[in-house]
Amino acid sequence: MSDSRVDLAEGFSVESLTANPRQARKERLIRDSLGATALVSVLISGLIIWSLFSEAWTFMVEVDWGAVWDIGWFPRRGIYDIKTLIVASLIVTGIAMIVAGPLGLGAAIYLSEYARPGVRRTLKPILEILAGIPSVVLGFFALEWIAPNVVKTLFGGPAAGSLLAAGIGVGVLVIPLVASISEDAMKAVPMSLREASSGLGARKITTTVRVVLPAAVSGLMAAFIVAVSRALGETMVVFMAGGAAQTAVYTHDPLDGSLTMTAGMTSLARGTDSVVGEGLTFQSLFFVGLVLFIVTFALNLVADRFVHRVREQY
Amino acid sequence: MAKARLIGDRTSKVMVQAMERRAADVRGRVFQFSLLTTLLISLFIIGVLIADVMIDAWGLLTGRPGGFLSGTMRSLSDDPKLGVQQALVGTFWIAVFVAVLAFPIGIGAAIWLEEYAPRNRFTRFIELNIRNLAGVPSIVYGLLGLFLFVQSLGDLTGGKSIAAAGITLAILVLPIVIITAQEAIRAVPQGLKEGAYGVGATKWTMIRSQVLPYAAPGIFTGTLLSMSRGIGEAAPLLLVGAVSGRLGGNPGFFDLSAINAESFMAMPVIIVEWVQNSGRDPGFAEAAAAAIVVLLVFVILMNAAAILLRNHFEKKRG
Amino acid sequence: MRLRKLRFAARSLASSNSNLSKSARPLVLILGLMTTFALIAAACGGGNDDEEVPSGQSDVADQGQDSGGAVSGRVTISGSSTVEPISVRVAELFEDVQPDVRVTVDGPGTGDGFKLFCEGETDISDASRPIKESEAADCAEAGIEYVELRVGIDGIAVMTGENNPVDCVSFNDIYGMVGPESTGFGSWSDAGSLSGLETSNLPDASLDIYGPGEESGTFDSFVEIVLEHIADERGQDATTRPDYNANADDNVIIQGIQSGDTSFGWVGYAFAAHASGVKLLQVDGGEGCKSANADTIASGEYPVSRALYIYVNKANAAASPALTAYVDFYLSDEGLGTAVSQVGYVNLTDDAKSATRANWSGR
Repeated sequence: MSDSRVDLAEGFSVESLTANPRQARKERLIRDSLGATALVSVLISGLIIWSLFSEAWTFMVEVDWGAVWDIGWFPRRGIYDIKTLIVASLIVTGIAMIVAGPLGLGAAIYLSEYARPGVRRTLKPILEILAGIPSVVLGFFALEWIAPNVVKTLFGGPAAGSLLAAGIGVGVLVIPLVASISEDAMKAVPMSLREASSGLGARKITTTVRVVLPAAVSGLMAAFIVAVSRALGETMVVFMAGGAAQTAVYTHDPLDGSLTMTAGMTSLARGTDSVVGEGLTFQSLFFVGLVLFIVTFALNLVADRFVHRVREQY
Repeated sequence: MAKARLIGDRTSKVMVQAMERRAADVRGRVFQFSLLTTLLISLFIIGVLIADVMIDAWGLLTGRPGGFLSGTMRSLSDDPKLGVQQALVGTFWIAVFVAVLAFPIGIGAAIWLEEYAPRNRFTRFIELNIRNLAGVPSIVYGLLGLFLFVQSLGDLTGGKSIAAAGITLAILVLPIVIITAQEAIRAVPQGLKEGAYGVGATKWTMIRSQVLPYAAPGIFTGTLLSMSRGIGEAAPLLLVGAVSGRLGGNPGFFDLSAINAESFMAMPVIIVEWVQNSGRDPGFAEAAAAAIVVLLVFVILMNAAAILLRNHFEKKRG
Repeated sequence: MRLRKLRFAARSLASSNSNLSKSARPLVLILGLMTTFALIAAACGGGNDDEEVPSGQSDVADQGQDSGGAVSGRVTISGSSTVEPISVRVAELFEDVQPDVRVTVDGPGTGDGFKLFCEGETDISDASRPIKESEAADCAEAGIEYVELRVGIDGIAVMTGENNPVDCVSFNDIYGMVGPESTGFGSWSDAGSLSGLETSNLPDASLDIYGPGEESGTFDSFVEIVLEHIADERGQDATTRPDYNANADDNVIIQGIQSGDTSFGWVGYAFAAHASGVKLLQVDGGEGCKSANADTIASGEYPVSRALYIYVNKANAAASPALTAYVDFYLSDEGLGTAVSQVGYVNLTDDAKSATRANWSGR
């Protein structure tokens, strides 16, 4: 944008008009302070990495690694079985994607390819409202409604919290995310492709499934990856509806209660004596946080690549 | 003549056939119907969610709405003084911190990135960095707040205080503010800027007189969205140390000593607290639902305003 | 002026829709105003943090404490997480009568509470056991005199399924089933396999355990009353086995125990008293099997129970009408009666209440 200078005549530019030293100084000051605000984001990233690493490092150096592969997550007893948390996180994320994938993608295809403009204008904002609902509300909903009405009635699970209830709750939470990124991806597919397809006599369904979706596949991948990353990092729904209090024995049954990485961290901070605990309890919090950060960071980078590919294509 | 008409007939016949075939396209119909179903399921979930919360909250909210808004945290759900004022105060101050810190810094960064930044690797790195920050799970920001603002800078912030929580949430929403403001600024027509330069404006005058006014609705939409995200976020607050159990005192909205007092409460956290209490005292589920209604009123109003505003300007500008 | 001209000129040059910027102007203004307001508010907030009242010293606004008039000040309480709910509930009820007194309560544990108390940091220390000699010595060294007040009784019900033939278990049996050495045990009779632990003749029936999680006061009480003593003797950590169904929701614990004939679990007595479909086990703490009910718990006959105390700093009580008023209120019927039973503990017998009140007035 900085090249938007207008040459009025040869050797006579806007710059020469503004070359009043006081004004130029003011301009520089403004530019530099704006630049400084942009650097804040870099500073924040630095601080996040620093805070995670400094405490997680202590944990990694001092922990007895046998305790990191044990029967469950009992940080206050010095048992930090990370696989309990990771498996629970994967189960919740998997269930969430089973819920959000089809629902989000279907809604996106409908909004992008089928809905008349008027319908789209009314339906889309409602979906966006869903996107704005705080996750504590979905946590409450997962525990008070999904658990007794879906998990218990349909799957014979407990009426209280379980990984399944939490997974469905997280799924509902990420539906709008899947829908909006997928819809953007499909909207980015040029109209000419659709017209060419129809011109060849293809039906709408053929055009949609054989032309639009393959053309938008990068964006759809991005939507999927971003949703996975979001589901892994979701905290309140799994904390409230995951069905475990503070500690968890290893399980891979979705009808059991357990702690995900995020819920494990929150539980630690929620005990009666906050995060003081004994030994490496406090540090374990940062260790789990670091694992989560690295995973979601990698996923976001990959998703970013996919989004870029969409931009380059069209 | 006759031949031409014949061709015309044949063409229209083919077309009619094609159209009829299309009308009887069962697969296509089923496909479209199932797509619509997925969308309707999502809408149905919102409906059930809101109905469920409203039914649970109804008794409390219609019974003593004023008392609930001005009440405090209590250990029994049937205590007539039970209410959310402490949490509202906490959330109010958190919103102030977000507005004071995240908005100016975020908008400033967006202006720099769109108008000043050289197109080089460093700028690209900053932009990538911001996109990544937007994807970092909120609980990781909680860890940052716990480590930096509660522990390292505890003397300054008062430890587990509203100040620590507010700064943490301001940092959390900063990338969203930057990204939405960037989009709004990017949409400003080049012609406007060139016009300003043409009459001798300096860069900053041009930005102030042309770019910001034009981008303002978009920027405002972004700030509304990030504010609603900020006041609904619970996970970082739990780590930064919103109290569990009792919070003594009930300071008014403008009691500034509350900012760095060693304990605080906020709307999303009181909901978590009460949902957990409902295990021993089922009445707390209703209290939690009522608190959700209060929180949702703010969040949905903000979101709806942002969406309407955006649609309004999108339409106007074509 | 110059700005307006510029804007006009630029607009005509750009020949774009000129209404847009105009209609957007109020928004900029609102945004700006919001930010300014917030800045001012925050700036004011910065300098306002020095009005904290030091603990124990009330700003004696009104000296009419004996006549029950309004007092103001601050009361700081710390200590046992088991007693915390009582002190909190009393504080809530007290606040309704004395709105200007600010009572803060937290519950890091009895030991940590006494540490703070004997350093003079707190006015009252909640305790789920009497003060230890070493702690009393710390207090004496710091010149802190205190008065010990018994406020209520904590009883824990030990339960199993309705149809379980077992009626009574000993502390050793419980240790064998849920103690730190029982990790992985799947049957009641496994308890007998621990060397050197004398257990009753327990059936070979499947053992599913339900109980509160580590964060709960009931968990701490259970460990401290039943397991700690035996664990110390055997050189183990005082805790339970990790692999049981821990839940913060007492209803879920009861449901769990109901679900199997030979399941096993524990919750606070008040919650268990009204539960159906479960059997409250008799417990042998060395003096024969005793069943759990309000009387046996109040008298201390039922072994899985213990008295709860508050310790009040005498000097602070003399100096602070707020603290005195709070303790007076604590010992009234609303405190020892209402508050104690509301949060799920058992009331003291009338004699014990009188003794506590006498202790306080004779301080």
